[in-house]
Amino acid sequence: MQGVTQSRWKSIQSGFIATIIVWPGVAPFGMVYAVSALAAGLSFSETLGMSLIVFAGASQFTAVGLFGAGANPISIIAATAIINARHLLLAASTASYIRQSPGWLRSIVAFQLTDETYAVGVQQFEKTGGDAWFQFGSNLSLYFVWAVSTVIGSLLGALIPDPVGLGLDLIFPLTFIAFLMPMVRDRVNRSVALLAAGISIAVALWLPGSWYVLIAGLVGSAFGAWFAVQSPLTPPEEGSDANH
Amino acid sequence: MNIWWTYIGMAAVTYAARAIPLLIMRNDPPPWLALWLRYVPPAVFTALVVPAIVTTSGIAGRVITFGPAIPAGLIGALVAWRTSNALLTVLCGMVSFWLIRMVMGS
Repeated sequence: MQGVTQSRWKSIQSGFIATIIVWPGVAPFGMVYAVSALAAGLSFSETLGMSLIVFAGASQFTAVGLFGAGANPISIIAATAIINARHLLLAASTASYIRQSPGWLRSIVAFQLTDETYAVGVQQFEKTGGDAWFQFGSNLSLYFVWAVSTVIGSLLGALIPDPVGLGLDLIFPLTFIAFLMPMVRDRVNRSVALLAAGISIAVALWLPGSWYVLIAGLVGSAFGAWFAVQSPLTPPEEGSDANH
Repeated sequence: MNIWWTYIGMAAVTYAARAIPLLIMRNDPPPWLALWLRYVPPAVFTALVVPAIVTTSGIAGRVITFGPAIPAGLIGALVAWRTSNALLTVLCGMVSFWLIRMVMGS
């Protein structure tokens, strides 16, 4: 039992630490979220409350805009559902690594799964196999920095410079480039990335919100599966019986 | 008080998207689904990167923007390709973004 507890703690810890790499991309936007929420008329506790209860960056920014415009709750909830629909795909992908862990643990992991921690988790699981406790530690790490940066943003208020003006919004895609490049060393993955790039641009120009992540993610990966079955150069291991 | 109910609604729809796949996928997925899911990470990562670099959101929606983010992203990609080092990738990308923007004088 002692050993189990210890290895869990180790996993949580290493998940937490591995996620520090995405903090610089997240923290400025936690602060700006807080500034814009206060400017839209939310109190400090309401501002922090949304970060703690909803915990989904892009939809929090959208909600603040809608609160400021006096939108009704239903339309705010609907906008949130649309923006966060992409998590269906991230969660399905994560589930394929950690489905053996207990249901209660997966339901906790689900509460805090984000783009960033999904990426950190996948990176780890591709190397060492699935570990829900690692994912939990990673999620906790992002939850922590999101909450802290919301508080700091509320305290500093207008002293915070506009991160987009500084170009800090580039940190997020740069971090994901670092996650992506080691993955695209073979022909199938490279084709998936090229196709997803084209689709995501087209959909981003065409539809609002983050539909482009969901659509490019679904179509790109489906193409990858098809191509892997077709391609004689990269015979799939588990997928070989899908070849019919 | 109303705002907290809105939060609970927002949290519920967000949680549903995050939890449903994680809770229903208990058993080994069928081979076609396992193969499909294997290529989700590169597809999603690309989708999170490319529009963020080549488009900007304005009042009229998203538009393609040929700004310093594109060469900076390419430099970042080269560094990531050669080193697989995330911190170095972000540093080189940001420094080249700032340098290019300074040279372009905007």
